[in-house]
Amino acid sequence: MSEEDGPASRVAIGLSFGNTNSSIAYTSAEGKAEVIANEEGDRQIPSILSYVDGEQFQGAQAKAQLVRNAKNTVAYFRDFLGQEFKDIDPTPCHQSAHPIEKDSQVAFSIQDTESEDVSTVSVSEITTRHIRRLAVSASDFLGKTVNAAVITVPTNFSDAQKEALRKAAADANIEVLQFISEPIAAVLAYDARPGASLSDKVVVVADFGGTRSDIAIIGSRGGIYTVLATAHDWDVSGTKFDDKLMEFFAKEFMKKHKNEDPTKNDRALAKLRLESEAVKKALSLGASASFSVESLSGGYDFTNTINRTRFELLSTQIFAAMTRLILQTVEKAELDPLDITDIILAGGTSHIPRIANNIKNSFPEGVNVWAPATKSDAINPSELSARGAAIQASLIADFEMENIKESCEPVVTVTPHLKHALGVLCISGDVAQGKFQPLIEADTPTPIRRTATITTPREGGDVLVKIVEGSRHIKVNKVENPAKANGATAKEADSDDSSEEEEDSDNDEEETREKVWHVGKVIAELAVKGVKKGGKVEVQVDVRPDLAVSIIAREVGAKGGVRGSVEAPKLENGSA
Amino acid sequence: MATAQIQLPLPVLPTGWSAEKDFKSVNSLSTPVHREIEPVGPHFLAHARRKRHKRTFSEDER
Ligand SMILES: Nc1ncnc2c1ncn2[C@@H]1O[C@H](COP(=O)(O)OP(=O)(O)OP(=O)(O)O)[C@@H](O)[C@H]1O
Ligand SMILES: [Mg+2]
Repeated sequence: MSEEDGPASRVAIGLSFGNTNSSIAYTSAEGKAEVIANEEGDRQIPSILSYVDGEQFQGAQAKAQLVRNAKNTVAYFRDFLGQEFKDIDPTPCHQSAHPIEKDSQVAFSIQDTESEDVSTVSVSEITTRHIRRLAVSASDFLGKTVNAAVITVPTNFSDAQKEALRKAAADANIEVLQFISEPIAAVLAYDARPGASLSDKVVVVADFGGTRSDIAIIGSRGGIYTVLATAHDWDVSGTKFDDKLMEFFAKEFMKKHKNEDPTKNDRALAKLRLESEAVKKALSLGASASFSVESLSGGYDFTNTINRTRFELLSTQIFAAMTRLILQTVEKAELDPLDITDIILAGGTSHIPRIANNIKNSFPEGVNVWAPATKSDAINPSELSARGAAIQASLIADFEMENIKESCEPVVTVTPHLKHALGVLCISGDVAQGKFQPLIEADTPTPIRRTATITTPREGGDVLVKIVEGSRHIKVNKVENPAKANGATAKEADSDDSSEEEEDSDNDEEETREKVWHVGKVIAELAVKGVKKGGKVEVQVDVRPDLAVSIIAREVGAKGGVRGSVEAPKLENGSA
Repeated sequence: MATAQIQLPLPVLPTGWSAEKDFKSVNSLSTPVHREIEPVGPHFLAHARRKRHKRTFSEDER
């Protein structure tokens, strides 16, 4: 068993296992993560197994069986793993094998052998079979037997679910080196790109999949990640767009064949769903797409076309719900849209251009929205999870299992984070008032060390380095509507207002919002004396895990400098 | 992390300011918030190494 094998004989991949699709990735000798195509050439492999006369099909071939052989086709099962039957939502399985209860766990009743007998196959066994097939595809591609993986899971995957997945993978001879969360894998995939900057960021990962949408707000500080808030939603997701298109095409079909409702017949419904999904995907690329199904219902063939604008009109509410979900999660993290630096769109549904464009329009201008529609160098949103997992796999493949486990223990991961930003007071405009310049942002884990070089007054001389805490506030400015102020006609003012849901009925004023710093506690003061004209001062702040601070300030190029330290705060609950 | 550049000037030292060795410790930092960092990525591994060996940044660089 691979469990006994040490790092020496390990061949590890990254594995993304979703309810809808799975994908496998590896990191090349040059350190580049790549997603592997299976035998059919698919990089997104539907997480579906189907049985026909005892033969097992996976992926796209299994998905095609949803039309003729739905009851022996198992789909959308990832979230059932490690859950009790009474806790699951079986809705996604309406058009495939229905989950049943076995020993209070989830199972499927399918005919998976050549005999007519129906067997009860647990969700763990299904998962094992699925992972085994994925491992074969990866092994074939790599030319050696894969025996280990880093697997991505949602941030709300419970310990029981992880244990069930670990066991199911072990039964497929895959040792799980580590579970990493899906949004973190996405961030890692971007940060591993050559030239990526490690600056402080607040990243939203919005993962729009097939059956669920998951949002995570992540503080990223020098390449270390802290999850600040998460949200999950099963009402807005990729299949909801398919539903809209199904409804649309069913109506169009019935305009021609009045008494033939394709939604009343399982096989017609399955065909309608598959083709609607294909149309949806085509509309992510083209301005229009055609729907074409042979013998859709009542023996009638059906073809039709739809353009992107029509599709977007049908889906307005889903788009709005997606943007709302992100904004609510930002609020849950006690942050403001102005705090967000990057939004990474992950999951297959993120290919839809309107989603990315709407999100971009709901955030301040400087925010990077990483999606195919908004950035030409965005990574394929469907590949982010698997790539991130492959990168992590390459980082830890040489470690002893013991060592990996130890690093994931709370003694290592639970870390004091700065409550407020820490910075230095500089001068701008009004000499009497200092202006806070952050060196370390709030929510930064310790230990942390930062260095900055700061200009000095024109004549140089003796300067004060005042180290202070700062907290950020959102300042709302009411600006008088310029159009109105210039005496514009009422008509113009009206059209101005039609833009978005303005709660404010008072359209004389417009709001602008900005981030401002409020200066808090003074931590330390240092004097750097005799700075020469045009000289700069280098300040280094080093915050220890117990929150003691040591500070060094010196003129750039000069020796020695001023240094000192500030005691750790008295802690009620001790430091981790 | 690269060194940050701050373009605004530092204030002139107020007359009468004095401290032993030109350093004045005024207040400790505010009590921190304990959060979990994600055990993922190359920079976490460096963090875990420092933590396991109880090393500071400069010791780690040696
Ligand atoms: N190019 C595309 N345009 C629009 N939608 C797409 C595109 N490619 C994939 N999708 C949709 O993305 C969804 C699958 O997303 P993804 O592969 O991320 O799912 P998953 O993480 O396995 O799903 P789940 O949320 O069910 O766990 C499907 O609804 C699919 O139709
Ligand atoms: Mg997913």
